Amino acid sequence: MGNGSEIMAEVVKIVEEDGAEYKNPMVIEGLPDMGLVGTIAASYIVEKLNYKEIGHIESDLFPPVMVIHGGKLKNPFRIYSDEGGQVVVVLSEVAVPPKAVYPLTTALADWFHKIDVKQPVISIKGLPMKNRVDIEKPKVFAVGNDEDAMKELKDKQLDLLEEGFIAGTYAIMLRECSKRRISAISLLAQCFPVYPDPGAAASAIESVKKFVTSLDIDVVELLKNAEEIKLKARDLMQQTALSASEMQKGMEQDMPIMYR
Amino acid sequence: MEMERRILKATWGCNGNLEPLYEVEDEDDEILVTFDLPCVRKEDVEINTTEDTVEVIAKMSNAVCWERWGVVQKEISFQSFRRQIRLPEPVEPGKAHASLKNGILRITLPKIRRKVLINIE
Repeated sequence: MGNGSEIMAEVVKIVEEDGAEYKNPMVIEGLPDMGLVGTIAASYIVEKLNYKEIGHIESDLFPPVMVIHGGKLKNPFRIYSDEGGQVVVVLSEVAVPPKAVYPLTTALADWFHKIDVKQPVISIKGLPMKNRVDIEKPKVFAVGNDEDAMKELKDKQLDLLEEGFIAGTYAIMLRECSKRRISAISLLAQCFPVYPDPGAAASAIESVKKFVTSLDIDVVELLKNAEEIKLKARDLMQQTALSASEMQKGMEQDMPIMYR
Repeated sequence: MEMERRILKATWGCNGNLEPLYEVEDEDDEILVTFDLPCVRKEDVEINTTEDTVEVIAKMSNAVCWERWGVVQKEISFQSFRRQIRLPEPVEPGKAHASLKNGILRITLPKIRRKVLINIE
């Protein structure tokens, strides 16, 4: 890897495998956020559907960490795709440091434009709920960045987040996509703010399936293994919670000003 | 480097104990502490409270064994969670109560110093 094409936005590089091909792909992003909803959902999709790794993201702003899976050294920010190049999944196993948010989202939005993604781009994230423990099946709310995205959300009968704040990487992702006239949506599943939440990830996957019809996947195994996933995700959750506190993530539970 | 330090601070030890994730919230007259305790049954949780600390020891229903990388240690297993935390202000341990639901342990601890309502004359 590393000899393929590269998109560079300041200090973030998207490095693609040689021969990576895309056919107007749907993009699903699963980066560490509240409840690790995006990371857990994206990892489950990639593993269950046996997607292949087609690239990774590098930056001096990322933590100096590599991960090891099955004895192989891997970059923690990775890009996967299905066999036909019709679905692309971006996921990370380390928290996005606040300093990396702007260059990372810029690089990704440029790359989405370059590979001519099918719109809308889908981000999976958590919506922190104080009473999550009392919620049996988390609901999913949605935010779109333009008229097309909003129409798509209404067509799919998703509950819209009407008022509130969205903070962190996905907030800037929606904005950077808007700048490039790329429709993008965020799916926000009700979740524990600081505990890994496989139940919320399962709800999010059910909503993603409304957009990506080729996603032939059920969430039974995810729910069955929820406790084990929670155990394994503890360290990443801890890092993410620390990083989130620097990104005004607490604002997501605040009310916005009444008059606009 | 702050981020590096955070990552190097592990939440597990070689003594078979895991540190659970927890959250402390200040709620007017109470301190609410929650712990994430997957794989734990109610009868296997022990909570010890003083005026300024809470300690949780929780046995897992099954020992968890992970294959970890490394030169010396190839795998590691855990049987329990253990964590003591210092509270932000003194509480009344005798009036504390706790519940465990969906793997989340909630401990409510009434503060010793309570608010007093003052009427405006």
